[in-house]
Amino acid sequence: MIENPQHSSPLFEVRELSCEREGHVLFRKLGFSLDRGEILQVRGSNGAGKTSLLRIVCGLDGSHQGELRWQGVPLASCIDDFHSELLYIGHRLGVNQALTPLENLRWSCRLHDRVGDGEIRDALAELGLASHENLPCRSLSAGQQQRVSLARLLLRDAPLWALDEPFASLDAAGIALLEKLLLRHSRSGGAAMVTTHHVLGIPCLRVLTLGLPQ
Amino acid sequence: MAGRWQWLHRLGSPRWFYATTTRWLPWLAGAMALLLAVGTVWALLYLPPDYQQGDTSRILVVHVAVAGASLSFFPLMAVAGTVTLVWRIKLADMVAKNAAPLGAWFSFLTLATGSIWGSVSWGTWWEWTDSRLVSMLFQFFLLLGVISLRAALDNSATAARACALLSIVGCINVVVIKYSVQWWNTLHQPPSPISMQVGSPNGPEFWVATAIMAVAVYLFLALSLILATRNEILERESKAQWVRELALGAT
Amino acid sequence: MSRVSAAAAFCATLKRDLLISIKRRNEVLNPFMFFLIVVSLFPLGISPEGAMLRQIAAGVIWIAVLLASMLSMDSLYRSDYEDGSLEQLLLSSQPLYLLVFAKNIAHWLVSGLPVIVVSPLLAYMLSLPAAGYPALVLSLLLGVPVVGMVGSIAVALTVGLGSRGLILAVIAVPMSVPVLIFGTLAVQNSLAGASPVGYLALLGAMLAAAASLAPVATAAALRIALHG
Repeated sequence: MIENPQHSSPLFEVRELSCEREGHVLFRKLGFSLDRGEILQVRGSNGAGKTSLLRIVCGLDGSHQGELRWQGVPLASCIDDFHSELLYIGHRLGVNQALTPLENLRWSCRLHDRVGDGEIRDALAELGLASHENLPCRSLSAGQQQRVSLARLLLRDAPLWALDEPFASLDAAGIALLEKLLLRHSRSGGAAMVTTHHVLGIPCLRVLTLGLPQ
Repeated sequence: MAGRWQWLHRLGSPRWFYATTTRWLPWLAGAMALLLAVGTVWALLYLPPDYQQGDTSRILVVHVAVAGASLSFFPLMAVAGTVTLVWRIKLADMVAKNAAPLGAWFSFLTLATGSIWGSVSWGTWWEWTDSRLVSMLFQFFLLLGVISLRAALDNSATAARACALLSIVGCINVVVIKYSVQWWNTLHQPPSPISMQVGSPNGPEFWVATAIMAVAVYLFLALSLILATRNEILERESKAQWVRELALGAT
Repeated sequence: MSRVSAAAAFCATLKRDLLISIKRRNEVLNPFMFFLIVVSLFPLGISPEGAMLRQIAAGVIWIAVLLASMLSMDSLYRSDYEDGSLEQLLLSSQPLYLLVFAKNIAHWLVSGLPVIVVSPLLAYMLSLPAAGYPALVLSLLLGVPVVGMVGSIAVALTVGLGSRGLILAVIAVPMSVPVLIFGTLAVQNSLAGASPVGYLALLGAMLAAAASLAPVATAAALRIALHG
């Protein structure tokens, strides 16, 4: 079998993925693939393994069995390339409480891309934080801190997004904004995995439900 | 990776280990009992009392043997740790987990027998100028650190890998500590060279008895480690079919 | 947008950690105060006589430095772990050991350097003869980063634990024994009129070894601690 990793294989692929936690099976023989332009919503009851799945996909969690492929290449052999193409926003936002939104984003974006202060200010303005960019994050509300972390979606040039409960503390305007960003990302050829219970207003959404009897 | 290291994974199968050691155990136990008896009787009855230290020198037979064995724990744990980190073989971690407390015990026994011997020959129970005693004390502390790290981490997979890394770092550290303590105290007497001359303090009667005792102690170490690892295997694999069959067969 | 170089990611991390330290200067100041207090306890507890203090001065300062660095290191990765920044650090495409090294340097600048700067003053208060000052300062300059980098492995291993102040000390303090030995030997040697260069060279060798190996081990430890 001859395969051309660049073209015939999907952007991201999971085959026969199993995960156990202290003797308790979270999921077994899970398989799915994610192509450019696709948004995958991961659903499931509490403790079904949504966050674990996302962390495994990002290479943050090694306690699993199965195959993960990025553009047809096993993840283990291209992990650095993969990480430069991945944007992960976890349950913990990666926002330092002592720093301002501007300082936080400067660091988290400059771990990957060359980003200017002007771009960061524009992104914060788009997320409605223009007047808060110089306040320490500890004085912001939970929803505003979530928005700070979501500003990375505008600043990083990453084809794969992995978002863990990104809607958790957003208000109606924030939800609409994030949906708009997801849609824009998918139209421009990006892919995303999102864990949420929120009913997403996105056409052509794919849904993966964990914890169903197989 | 799979092809070249297949043998290691086969060797690392808990079931294979359990079956093999079941066959070995009687032999190991028998050999240990025999050598322990020979060594003890030799040291207590046939070893001539030292002309300076009198009967106290007999404890050296045990002390030297235990000290030698306790030096092997960090290298053992570092090797097991490497296997855990690189090949993710669970058996290596089961061995390492039980090696740490056993190593702490051996270090403690070394310190205890050493200070009993020292109480007579040096006239004091503790002597900071003896670099071997001091570095053994810090090996003891480092082993306690590994044990408490294992106890503190809830997730067994994380604990296994964290302790593996700490054992490798600790193994390097023990060597550095040993040489720095030696440097710190050059006043200390160098290890006595063994002598082939019958009748001298470190003559053949002494070192042959010590060698027998050393082999006996190593066998004891191996036996304790194997027995502890077997318990660990039964506990961790309690859901496996073969363990259930074993338990049903025994009742 | 273009990809960033490893050096730029290193600088960004160094700057960020220094900025956090400046904003949380109270937390940085506490271990330093602790260091001053521990040192000033010794004359009260042992003897105020110059002859006695002179002998123990180097050891007291070194031990106080060790204890204070255990306290200050405790927070090295904690807030990053709690707020998720550590995950972002692990997901960087830049080599993790380099970013860890940047964090180590930032930590040394805010917690190691002040202690070294103030050490001659404390040495004076403990009646250390002037001949011992250069060896003391040099040994601290070479030795404190070693303690920090080796200790950072232990901090990384215990990063997921809630109350880990004590377990960190149990693991990390025995590892710093060689640094303590050579640091105090260098001072004692120069007090005795001999050259401390040999011991300082050994500390330098340890610094070189620690700088090249410890960040790699710390990076591995962080991965282990976060992989769950």
